[in-house]
Amino acid sequence: MPNFTINGVAVTVPQGTTILEAAKTVGIEIPHYCYHPKLSIAGNCRMCLVEVEKFPKLQIACNTVVTEGMVVKSNTEKVRQAVTGVLEFLLIHHPIDCPICDQAGECGLQVYYMKYGLHKSRHALEDKVHKKKVQDIGGQIILDAERCILCSRCIRFLQEVTHTSELEFFQRADHSEISIFPGKPLNNNYTGNLADICPVGALTSKDFRFRCRVWLLRGAKSICPGCANGCNVEAHFKGDILYRFQPRQNDEVNQTWMCDPGRLEYKKANEARLLTPVVREGGSPQATSWEAVLSAVAFRLWETVEKNGPESVAVIASPQFSNEELYLTRKLADEVLRTPNLGFSPRTLGNEVSDDFLIKPDKNPNTRGARLLGISEEKFEDIVGKIAGGKVKALLVFGNSIADFFEGETELLLANVPFVVQVGTNEGAVSRAAHAVLPSASFVEQGGTFTNHAGRVQRFWMGFPPRGKARNGIEIISGLANRLGAGWKFAGESSVFRAIAQSEGPFAGMSYESLGESGQVAGGTE
Amino acid sequence: MELVLTTHFGNDRYRHVDTYVRLGGYAALRKAISMPKEEIVEEVKKANLRGRGGAGFPAGVKWGFLPKDLSRPRILVINADEGEPGTFKDRLIMSRGPHLMIEGIVITCYALTTHTCYIYIRGEFVREADIVQEAIDEAYAEGYLGRNILGSGFDLDVTIHLGAGAYICGEETSLINSLEGKRGWPRVKPPFPASVGVFGQPTIVNNVETIADIPWIVTHGGEKFASLGVEKDGGTRLICVSGPVKKPGVYELPVGTSLHSIIYEHAGGLRDGKTLKAVIPGGSSTPVLRANEIDVPFDFESLQKIGTMAGSGGVIVIPEGTCMVRSLSVLMNFYAHESCGQCTPCREGCGWLARILRRIEDGEGREEDVELILGVCDNMLGRTICPLADAAVMPAQSFIWKFREEFDQHIQEAKCPYGNRF
Amino acid sequence: MSLAFSEEARARFEKTLARYPNREAAILPTLHLAQREFGYLSDEAIQYVADLLGFTPAYIEGVATFYTMYNRKPVGKYHLQICRNLSCSLMGAEHLIEHVAKRLGVKPGETTADGRFTLSTVECLGSCGTAPVMQVNDDYYESLSEESIEGLLDRLL
Repeated sequence: MPNFTINGVAVTVPQGTTILEAAKTVGIEIPHYCYHPKLSIAGNCRMCLVEVEKFPKLQIACNTVVTEGMVVKSNTEKVRQAVTGVLEFLLIHHPIDCPICDQAGECGLQVYYMKYGLHKSRHALEDKVHKKKVQDIGGQIILDAERCILCSRCIRFLQEVTHTSELEFFQRADHSEISIFPGKPLNNNYTGNLADICPVGALTSKDFRFRCRVWLLRGAKSICPGCANGCNVEAHFKGDILYRFQPRQNDEVNQTWMCDPGRLEYKKANEARLLTPVVREGGSPQATSWEAVLSAVAFRLWETVEKNGPESVAVIASPQFSNEELYLTRKLADEVLRTPNLGFSPRTLGNEVSDDFLIKPDKNPNTRGARLLGISEEKFEDIVGKIAGGKVKALLVFGNSIADFFEGETELLLANVPFVVQVGTNEGAVSRAAHAVLPSASFVEQGGTFTNHAGRVQRFWMGFPPRGKARNGIEIISGLANRLGAGWKFAGESSVFRAIAQSEGPFAGMSYESLGESGQVAGGTE
Repeated sequence: MELVLTTHFGNDRYRHVDTYVRLGGYAALRKAISMPKEEIVEEVKKANLRGRGGAGFPAGVKWGFLPKDLSRPRILVINADEGEPGTFKDRLIMSRGPHLMIEGIVITCYALTTHTCYIYIRGEFVREADIVQEAIDEAYAEGYLGRNILGSGFDLDVTIHLGAGAYICGEETSLINSLEGKRGWPRVKPPFPASVGVFGQPTIVNNVETIADIPWIVTHGGEKFASLGVEKDGGTRLICVSGPVKKPGVYELPVGTSLHSIIYEHAGGLRDGKTLKAVIPGGSSTPVLRANEIDVPFDFESLQKIGTMAGSGGVIVIPEGTCMVRSLSVLMNFYAHESCGQCTPCREGCGWLARILRRIEDGEGREEDVELILGVCDNMLGRTICPLADAAVMPAQSFIWKFREEFDQHIQEAKCPYGNRF
Repeated sequence: MSLAFSEEARARFEKTLARYPNREAAILPTLHLAQREFGYLSDEAIQYVADLLGFTPAYIEGVATFYTMYNRKPVGKYHLQICRNLSCSLMGAEHLIEHVAKRLGVKPGETTADGRFTLSTVECLGSCGTAPVMQVNDDYYESLSEESIEGLLDRLL
């Protein structure tokens, strides 16, 4: 554990720590472009030059390992001049097209120019080297070679993370540029990360392009709902519209990456949403109030149990719902409706796409959670059989589809049930067949936890309140249960999680505090 | 005068093993394999042999950077990527005395317990590479290479690797990358090649001339070699003289021979009645000297004292009547063309300097341009992975410091006073 | 018609591979070989080398375009490469370049219409003592003058 000082601050760091990383631990930012904590050291941008006592030349902080007694200065005139000089070099050929650049607002050139540059250009405009702009290089990415500062992050990512090497440096000297080989576009499932790691506007996202200025966006810490991996993301939104996912670092789960299909998962929170409670009487759907719909549904459920016994009621849970919602769903089935008919229906669409990195074949974020909470998929097969046999008189469906049944299949199946209730976020075969629709909040409109494939319980946070009249799933389930006499007193997802931690073995001892931002592994899953 | 290398370079057969052996070749190797390895290294240290590739680092000390344990195989790489403008001595060794280099390789590899050697020859030297390959084949046939060399039990394989046109590959870590099949980008250090070099193995990179000096040192002893030169800088050097002198070429001279006598005695002085204006002493990357600064011994330290460098021994003679702006512009075009493009200050700085100089030479210079050049130089110097940026800055600064009036004149008169030509 | 090495080139390639501990190190020699086989390195040639060695074509392209001796465009039967660095310039290289350009009717970087000559200017060839110097394919022509280069062009024409 070497001790050293940076700008006079004494710091102790583990053996092998670089100056750049060590400085971070005491809140000293050393500017850099090419350095990325999850990629090999390139040392080429030369932004992180610092003074190190006993070294005649400035040293790069990203590749200089701290040694005992080292004295480092990153705030001297000599360092400032070096950083300013590098910035000037990086900008001489830059097109300065910030007004039409998507990176504006989160651009490393803008940020450091304001901090260290603010120089007038000494370079003749007519001497700028021009390169190709707006190139569709495949995947989710557009390349603008003129904006590129040749930091090589993208190239290292494609060599070291995806092992696909579609992008390389071509030519040399100030004609160097990154490019794909003609006719060989990006061909991997992780291209979106290139836009994230590009510190400038050279690689931008096709999906996000020209859609929103980044300074108008707010972010919520979230979990990608696209598969069982549970990649940590930042969900960016404006008002009640989601604009993008960006990966959030969690070394136990996704490091700093996420996959391309997952990156587009946010769209489901925007499109074809169920925004108001609906009852269908005599065939035509009618918008109604929460009070009316909850009372009506509670009454029918009570009536069905009374008339036909609890076995005539079934609940299809969804592994796309949070642990908190699943727990209450189970409680509702077990303790309130007292029906044995509880199972979960998985989403399977796309499960042929998987790899040994982040993409899991299970396309549900919380299958593991559902199982740990005692809800099974096998039971779901039973329930489908009972529905087909006409034994189910009232059905509560969580989610937007039943497994991945086609529209016609769903319609045919549900035609066997006199009363179908959906708790879900999006329109589809289920909402069209349901007699009552209880619109629930999307993952970004409420907080909660998912348990990923490896048993890691991870929190996601509410970004904005539920859209339209949609409601938090906890309120919906509690609303039904309490109208059936349950007397639950849950105040939000944290109180539900406390109950889970008390009664569910795998979650014993956990709390939202202990989960923090990176989660905890459920007991017995390792 | 004692010659280390070039005694028999006039003999066309000297490049063949039979003639080489008849003239005493491979005797040093026979002696070396009877010596304790450390003793060979000790002799090289005593010889004060400084790297002839340009940096002048003591060869024996460099060898000492290899890790002590032998668990990872070590590799010797010969830097024959001769590309420093003004330098053409390694080409001479390879074409006239390739066995000197090969014998030096075998002795060095034996001393360092190395069983693999690559000779990285610049791609343009196709003919020289053919000659070296022929010499290698002969050496294998005669038992100087391969298995159980001269019955010593020592094995060594030597492979030629041809470059493909990149000045930067003369920088040792760039050369290593190029040898590994990569773009010739210099590597960030640490790790240094002696611990992680070619294919991840501990590696020593030595210049052709440096390695060719080894047999003589083994034969005559390090002290004798040291005594040929000056303090801390032993032996002879192959000095390359180019430009309009009467006898341009390579001269083997004791380290410390005066630059004046190199130009006026050995190279015969300027031709066609020209007079001397300036000299670049050690290849294009070394700071230029005015005509009145050449009474200086040609060795690393003496040249350093007057603000320049011995470099790779490439003396470029510039006569009166030559435009210094145009000369520097030619050099900056070179660096702008050869920058590997990896680090920002070099990639952008070299090109920028070249463009400013071109416009000054074309009569389109701006009042602030000379200061701009110096400012750009400040932002390049000492801020990059490898010395190429410094190599561009040193001529740029020195040309301006010593011939400032010519730059100013170009800008004030908005034209080249020399008619925009050489 | 897709490109492929001749039997002889294939044999040389195999020999090259055997000299190195991995396939990556064979990239430079294989590109040299491909250029000799195919005249220049077309997109197809890059793809061929990439497939031979097991790298992406982008990776091979990155290496190939770093080095000046690999021609990504066709060159004439005789590639005239005149050094323009300082020692050669001091000895008249600029005049020589102009002279050859005029004689062949091409600018540096261009190829004559009959495909016989490509004229290039290059950086230091490491033969400054015999400046000005020109490399034609594998051979150096040194201490050139307008007269000697005329004679050479006559022989090559």
